[in-house]
Amino acid sequence: MQKPSILFTGIFGAFAVSLGAMVLIPHSQLASLQPQVQWDEGANSPSDVYPQKRSVVGRDVYVAEGCFYCHTQQVRDPQYGPDMERGWGSRRTVARDYLYEDVPLLGSQRLGPDLANFGWTVKVTQKDGTEKTVSMWRDEHEDDPKKPAERNERWIYKHLFNPRAIFTDSKCPPYRFFFEKKEIGEKPSPNAVETDGKFEYVPTHEAERLADYLLSLDRTHELKESPTVIKPKEAKK
Amino acid sequence: MNATPETTAAPVGGASAAQGDVTRRDIEAVERALIDQSARGPVLTFFTTAIFWLLVSVVLGYIASKKLHSPDFILGPEWLYKLLHIRSIVNPIFEHLTYGRVWPAYTTAMIYGWCSLAGMGVATWLIGRLTRVSIKAPAVLQFGAWFWNAGVAVAVITILCGYNSGLEYFEMHRAARLCLFIGYLFIGIWGLILFRYRRQSTPFISVWYLAAAFFLFPWFFGTTEVLSSMPLAGVMKNVVNAWYQNGLFNLWLGCIGLATAYYLIPKVINRPIYSYNLASIGFWSWIFLGGLTAMTRLSGGPVPAYLVTLSIAASILMIIPIATLTVNFVRTMKGHTGLMASSPTLRFTFVGTIFFSIAAALNVFSALRSVDSYTHFTSWAHGQLHLVTMGFFSMVMFGAIYYITPRLVGCEWLSRTFMKLHFFGTAYGAGTIIALFLFGGLATGFVLNEPTADKMGFYNVDGIANAYMPVKTYIGYVLFGGAQLIFAFHFLLMRLRIGQPAGEPTLLETPGEGH
Repeated sequence: MQKPSILFTGIFGAFAVSLGAMVLIPHSQLASLQPQVQWDEGANSPSDVYPQKRSVVGRDVYVAEGCFYCHTQQVRDPQYGPDMERGWGSRRTVARDYLYEDVPLLGSQRLGPDLANFGWTVKVTQKDGTEKTVSMWRDEHEDDPKKPAERNERWIYKHLFNPRAIFTDSKCPPYRFFFEKKEIGEKPSPNAVETDGKFEYVPTHEAERLADYLLSLDRTHELKESPTVIKPKEAKK
Repeated sequence: MNATPETTAAPVGGASAAQGDVTRRDIEAVERALIDQSARGPVLTFFTTAIFWLLVSVVLGYIASKKLHSPDFILGPEWLYKLLHIRSIVNPIFEHLTYGRVWPAYTTAMIYGWCSLAGMGVATWLIGRLTRVSIKAPAVLQFGAWFWNAGVAVAVITILCGYNSGLEYFEMHRAARLCLFIGYLFIGIWGLILFRYRRQSTPFISVWYLAAAFFLFPWFFGTTEVLSSMPLAGVMKNVVNAWYQNGLFNLWLGCIGLATAYYLIPKVINRPIYSYNLASIGFWSWIFLGGLTAMTRLSGGPVPAYLVTLSIAASILMIIPIATLTVNFVRTMKGHTGLMASSPTLRFTFVGTIFFSIAAALNVFSALRSVDSYTHFTSWAHGQLHLVTMGFFSMVMFGAIYYITPRLVGCEWLSRTFMKLHFFGTAYGAGTIIALFLFGGLATGFVLNEPTADKMGFYNVDGIANAYMPVKTYIGYVLFGGAQLIFAFHFLLMRLRIGQPAGEPTLLETPGEGH
């Protein structure tokens, strides 16, 4: 039979092997990761830095409500699944994309669509020469007549208040507690989601921050290690 | 060489039943009773609080499951709330309890409340028995148990109120983590002290598993706590999280469950483990490989590719411990399966080990990349979680509680009908929940892999990927929850010393009855 010293040495050895292989080696590899910087010739400052450090407001709301239990934030290579064909991104996401996130909300379940590039937009020049920002196409509830083309703050407020007002059969829960019931003043609020003539539901600060966060999600900037795979499609008018 | 404390305590053959043996046996029986008596307080505290959390987790699980197919639902009769004029209080509360809050509260209550507390209670008793040392200051253990409970309570309440760390199965607030850790130190160090002063010269295989579980848990928990508060580069936190989850299931819950099964099965059928060499191989390969299978959870994700490859390789090598453990359990049981009809302990424990083999085999199966492409990001992972916690671990713990409690309270279980109902509800309820998570996951996987599947209802509440969910709620959770309610009531009666007179254990079926 084994001596206790051998037993505990063995058990500790198992832990050390596990920690070393699964945590320390990848850490030594990832710790030196830097943002991608592009210097134009003769320039004093880089013309393009990705990802940029930014103060992300509203991420805490996303975490507190546990959005990441149903929504992932990672786009995989086409060999793993048709993530890009669904309009969830133009390239696979890599470690560099999450450089400045405290806990990247990669998620483990897809009960709803991926949100890695929820705020993905492009600027298009219209016929009269003015520029317009257009949301990219996504496949969720494609044939739903209720589905609006533009994903903006109002879209998010409506969806938070009652997801089934945007998608007929959505299984996303309603977040009524993100809205305040207010008496309509002189003019109805621009962001009010529902009104019955006398009262209106106005998004609270939480809802505004969450909307800011969701619209800031865009990881389509091209990277050396992850070139663009699929050309983007614009949302249907 | 291979003699166990059990076989020396109760020899099967009668040829050498000399006078001296009988006296020694009597002394050992008294000694065991004294050890049991010293463990009584803390172990019963562990069991009672664990069963409380079991009930809490079943209610939360029911709500979480139902929220997925009817996101607007409100628990309980609405007409009653209307009658009592509390609708304006109840409705906002349930509005806040969205899936994203209830699900983590459910898994926390189940893993840290029910599983860990029951496991530590059984482990405390087992260590006392196996090392033949009585517990000198049970108040220390009690204190640890209440600290741990406070931690779970803080964790569940803060999660329901909207706190989340973003790390799965490690969601709780830092205050809760601190409570758990301090509570654990009181409990775990006590276990190691007992091990140090053991009077049994040859450690039983169960002791190895318990030593591994009690030694590894604080390392995994503490390391994750430290690393998660450090400014690591992006996805490293996800890597640490996956590593922690893997340690939690394989090396904490897994080792305690296996230790308990390795103790109870030979004990009930009164015969030593089939092969100690196999058990030894199984143990070492389990703890070495068990810590390396973590990163299949991140397959396809933005992490270094070799991590996933290494974990897939380790998962496939896990065939070695799984095969040795399964062969050992089945061969030990060979010729004694008939006892499962009468012994509740054996029935629960052996069914638990079957769940273990299925869980472990499915881990190997779904680690393969071709299978993983269908099961990744689906409820398949939840099926695996429930196989380990609800199937394997809970079943083994029920078996142990049925075995240990009569030895602590001084009377036997009151009703065999309650036991039968409990087994029926647990086995079929857990089976339904697990099967629907797994098959629902596969169905979702096929739809998820089909880019034009919108019409098949991947996103829809009543789509093909979701159609199984009401069955899980109304049959799975209701059956499982009902069984646990009966069990909790039965346990309460035992604590009130309402039961059969001590001596003959309550069996599911009197031997010779029926057939």
